Amino acid sequence: MQMSYLAALGHYIPELIVCITMVGLLVLEATYSKDEHGRGLLYSGAMIGLFIAFCVSAGSLTDLPLPIFTNSVVIDPFSGFLKCIMILGTMGAIYLSSQSKDIYNNLKAEFVIMATGVLMGGMLLASANNMLILYLGIETLSILSYALASFRKTDERSSEAGLKYALYGGVSAGIMLFGMSHIFGVLGTIQFSEIGPVLNNLTATQLSILIPSFLMFFAGLGYKLACAPFHMWTPDVYEGSPLPVTAFFAIVPKMAALGALTRVTFVFFQEPGLLQESWVGIMQVIAALTMTVGNVGAIGQRSVKRMLAYSSIGHAGMMIMGVVVINEVGARAILFYGSTYLFMTLVAFLITSFVNDKYGNDHFERFNGFIYRYPMMAIAMALVMFSLAGVPPLSGFVAKFNILSAVVEKKYYMLALIGGLNSVVSLYYYLKIVRLMVFKESESSEKIEGLGFMNQAIVVALTVPVVLLGIFWSKLIVLAESAKILIQ
Amino acid sequence: MNSMYPFLFLSFFMFVIGLGVMIARKNIIAMLLGIELILNASALNFVTYTRFVNQNLDGHIMSLFIIIIAAAEAAVGLAIVIRFFQVRESIHIDDAAQLQA
Repeated sequence: MQMSYLAALGHYIPELIVCITMVGLLVLEATYSKDEHGRGLLYSGAMIGLFIAFCVSAGSLTDLPLPIFTNSVVIDPFSGFLKCIMILGTMGAIYLSSQSKDIYNNLKAEFVIMATGVLMGGMLLASANNMLILYLGIETLSILSYALASFRKTDERSSEAGLKYALYGGVSAGIMLFGMSHIFGVLGTIQFSEIGPVLNNLTATQLSILIPSFLMFFAGLGYKLACAPFHMWTPDVYEGSPLPVTAFFAIVPKMAALGALTRVTFVFFQEPGLLQESWVGIMQVIAALTMTVGNVGAIGQRSVKRMLAYSSIGHAGMMIMGVVVINEVGARAILFYGSTYLFMTLVAFLITSFVNDKYGNDHFERFNGFIYRYPMMAIAMALVMFSLAGVPPLSGFVAKFNILSAVVEKKYYMLALIGGLNSVVSLYYYLKIVRLMVFKESESSEKIEGLGFMNQAIVVALTVPVVLLGIFWSKLIVLAESAKILIQ
Repeated sequence: MNSMYPFLFLSFFMFVIGLGVMIARKNIIAMLLGIELILNASALNFVTYTRFVNQNLDGHIMSLFIIIIAAAEAAVGLAIVIRFFQVRESIHIDDAAQLQA
């Protein structure tokens, strides 16, 4: 069924709102870039625009899924849910950037504009149903991210981070395209919906071209998702970028790439066969490797930011486990994991950012005796750390439990075992912060200026979902369960 | 030219050279050129397959978009290299080693 262009636009409202917000912000920035008042206007404009987009996106979660724009974009509850997570993540990162000293004042407006642009790319990627749209989404996401990573222009580390990001990103996008071109050559189409059915009756020659092509295709997605063979850039880029940018990278591009990976896996490899078996096998290995690399790498770190970067690799591996099972239970678990991961990451980065602004670095020792100076903040940080490690009754536990139960249901016991072991390993470095906060003497009793009443209130408000989702998880699960993927 | 294999070999050759440049060369500008080679290899592939196998427009559209995006990526990449050159006064990739643990 083909829909007229205008009717299709009616289902594309969240993206349009984000787009209009970005253009409006550009105009605002050009007009008021000089004064302090203008910056306040810019932030409130961005927040209002994104909030409207969030409301529209959340409101259309119950709509019937449908493909629009001649089947190249799919609007379904699954992508809608991911878009909600990404919009919230962007709002959090924008708030963080307004408070952080890590971004120069005259560049703050640009951060907001570029973050909105990345969000647009992410939304496109999450609902891509066609190789061209997928590629466009990834590149919109990437090209703006390169600029974001090298945001501190005169800082050696930041420009190095941008450089590494751009080089790795360019190569992996190229490899992905090369894979795509062979898939197109063998199957004759770039439409996902047409690729799925033809995958089952192929000759041996075609298969021998397709399997390496799919691997190359995975390189691009895997790079954005920062999973094991392509994770090398992650710690460096995350460490070199300014802190709000790191928080942003840990949420938005990751969730978008995860959405695309899930859709690709579900659409292509629904039917059992050689291709499905090999894809699932490779994904299992990658999930296990990613988790292990992330969690083992996080152990020896001195900087909390770098530790969080490694731990985000570990969490990506955990979420890939939800993709491996290729069923509704897995998709539901991914969405739940994503929404809890959003809140946990935001709180951890917010607190780290204020500490970093005060002391100029974010080494673990900076958290010494934190609980005696800022008890509320220390408790929030401790809760988030326990939740990230997966300690019941916090939301991180429910999220991990969902993923692991989906994996066990499919009888991938080895994978589930590795996932469980990784949770145990992650306890070590998460609890290190908690231990330092409680049992060590504080080095200084100076106040951290960033932690005023307003910011403390926001940190607490973001911590509340981390706890509540762990207890009243059934509400979100029901919502995530209705978020089905449209395979068309 | 009635066979598509010469084109496919050429594009594969370009792809391998691009990867080789990325691995072997230490000059950042050369590495950016390597990325361009890889992207052009896939654009050539798309056009070849459209010409010889699949008679639809998908491949042509794809290769046009690849050209456009390659230009955008090169612009941002070069801007970052200039920034890097201004702080480090070098375009050697080995000088980008501040961030190793």
